[in-house]
Amino acid sequence: MRVELFYAPGCGKCAGATTALKAAAEALSGVEWCEVNVLDDLDRAVDRGVLTLPALAIDGYLVFTALPTVEQLVAELHRRGGERGDGA
Amino acid sequence: MLTIGKLAKAGDISADALRYYEREGLLAPASKTDSGYRLYGEDAVRRVRFIQHAQACGFTLAEIRELLHLRQAESACCDDVRSRAIEKKLQLAAKIRAIQVMSAALDMLIAECSGGALPVDDCPILAALEAVSGETGRRS
Repeated sequence: MRVELFYAPGCGKCAGATTALKAAAEALSGVEWCEVNVLDDLDRAVDRGVLTLPALAIDGYLVFTALPTVEQLVAELHRRGGERGDGA
Repeated sequence: MLTIGKLAKAGDISADALRYYEREGLLAPASKTDSGYRLYGEDAVRRVRFIQHAQACGFTLAEIRELLHLRQAESACCDDVRSRAIEKKLQLAAKIRAIQVMSAALDMLIAECSGGALPVDDCPILAALEAVSGETGRRS
């Protein structure tokens, strides 16, 4: 699974618990963490339907329009991993 | 002090629009005369221009109210304003994308019709619009 965090430099809300979220996501097998500066890749943000920052997409779909807690992110990744049957 | 008429002229805006800004909490008169006429300080001209420029950048009146509050908040910094500008750019880019899709859909419809004096019952654009709405209904 690919997790994309959409952010902008200097965005206070984006700074939040990013480090903890990244660590929790990458601790799961088969999860790739990717940080996207919307100023560098506006098209990708528009593709995903990102309208506010920060936002988090999983496998190309906008899932969180604000930073989730670590528990929320892990639960979502487990749920999607369960659906795909890859155990992530 | 400026009357509403003078402020309207200085800001190239109608007096009704200024009263609307007041109802929306964007602009308030500094005082009123005994007869109830609004009087504005010189800074009101700058404020009106700020509102107009922000509207030209796509900000809604509610968002402009936030920007005006930020401008006066001691705890706010440039990053707070920049973040709002970036989010507005995202929203505009999404709207542009949606309009491009609509434009492409119109291109296809226009290409299907060669015009002429066919009765509207045979109009391929109207027929295609019916078909498109049917498809949309099935998807949803």
